[in-house]
Amino acid sequence: MITAERKPMEELIECLRPYHRILLVGCNECVTVCSAGGRKEVGILSSALQMAFMKEGKTLEIREITLERQCDPEYIEELVTDISQAEAVMSMACGCGVQEIAKRFKEKPVFPAVNTSFMGASEQQGVWAERCQGCGDCVLGITGGICPVARCSKQLFNGPCGGSTTGKCEINPDIDCAWQLIWDRMKALGIEENYEKNMPPKDWRTSRGGGPRTIIREDLAK
Amino acid sequence: MSFQKKLKSGEFVVLAEMNTPKGINISELVTNARRIKGRVDAVIVPDMDNGIMRMSALAGGVLMNQQGVESIIHLYCRDRNQIALQGDILAANVLGIHNLVVAHSEEMAKGDHREAKPVYDIDEIELLDAIQSLQKGTDKAGFDLDGSPSFTVGCTISPFKDDEEFEQELLLAGRKIDKGAQFIITPPVFDLDHFASNLDKLKEMGVPIIPTVFLIKSVGIARYIANYEPGANISEDTIKRIRKAPDTEIECLKIAGETIKGLKELSQGVQIVTLGWEHRLPEILDYAGI
Repeated sequence: MITAERKPMEELIECLRPYHRILLVGCNECVTVCSAGGRKEVGILSSALQMAFMKEGKTLEIREITLERQCDPEYIEELVTDISQAEAVMSMACGCGVQEIAKRFKEKPVFPAVNTSFMGASEQQGVWAERCQGCGDCVLGITGGICPVARCSKQLFNGPCGGSTTGKCEINPDIDCAWQLIWDRMKALGIEENYEKNMPPKDWRTSRGGGPRTIIREDLAK
Repeated sequence: MSFQKKLKSGEFVVLAEMNTPKGINISELVTNARRIKGRVDAVIVPDMDNGIMRMSALAGGVLMNQQGVESIIHLYCRDRNQIALQGDILAANVLGIHNLVVAHSEEMAKGDHREAKPVYDIDEIELLDAIQSLQKGTDKAGFDLDGSPSFTVGCTISPFKDDEEFEQELLLAGRKIDKGAQFIITPPVFDLDHFASNLDKLKEMGVPIIPTVFLIKSVGIARYIANYEPGANISEDTIKRIRKAPDTEIECLKIAGETIKGLKELSQGVQIVTLGWEHRLPEILDYAGI
């Protein structure tokens, strides 16, 4: 899932200060799962903002709505009526959702309420960790199911750096060394010989090297 | 007189671009530099801006200085992060390079190492800001330097196809000047009247304007630019002139020389770009009366 964290209240208050009527839009997808911008979080932020503005002696009228998916133009259309009554929009979706609203409603200011963080997995209740950088050329089949792009701090492809100590990363000792994990997994799979094979430099064109990416499925595209 | 002094005095400056070799054979570069020694004010050495891996501009600039030709080197943001850029800037100064141009770089996909990862840690405006900080004695992280460098710094504006794009470029150029750019290098000029029509707005920038004179080498190149570079303004008359010339190469050199001559009346300098024909620079200068 795409993970996100809510921005600090001060930042949100600051960008909404010029407005009196806003539309606060949540998303039922990833940000709901990572408890950053679903229906529940929309309600909590709405109350918090209204209280903050009341303290300042101002009123902020907030209309709340949570879409099935903000990254899909079909669902964005559901905002047409509500958005016309708002001076600005605050989106609690990931950056994709914010941009879809901005694209559809060109005259309406839209502000992000969350910082979109990474593509990750849930490690335990309330803990998410980065797992994928969407590099466009997956190597997990070679590296034992552990990603050196997303999980090695230096994105190394041929074993750990000199800073790997007792299985931990030198950048943060709380983070496992990806290449330690890869080694452990290769051993468990009985494919240690893969560790000795040189991996060529990665072709970054499939990642961000080729600029913003588009997927076109000819069989689906109209 | 140094490039910096000439620029400040308002005199016309002549700059010639020379690329470093893809390898370590510097004989051609050095020979070409010697050929124009004393006839140009400085040689501009691009780095790997166009995405082609070659010897770095830092070495090229030093080689120019060793030949007694003042150098200006390009800096850009695609291949180096802010630490590497600052390190190279300090190195350049220590090695006797006192002029920099913060340039645009081609996207990696258009170069010869297409699979490489672009950096873009900072952009051109932030790089200019970093150069300014270094000159004031602190690095980008705010730490004091033990001895600060000094440079004459220029920036570029990108080709523009219409007035709206020109306005956007001017806005960006203004921000670059605010961050310390002391001169502007413009895209190639093929039509003096068109350049003159933009001159008032360029002059409002308040810094010397140095247009590029790009050597057209054939009808094919002229036609390509006319077709694929909107805003370049290569006229059909120019293309016809090259096509009908008894000696195409000489005609192309003459056109470049005439353009330089015309720009003497309009701008504070020229940058001559010959892309592989640096050995013909003396002839271009002859035709330009320089």
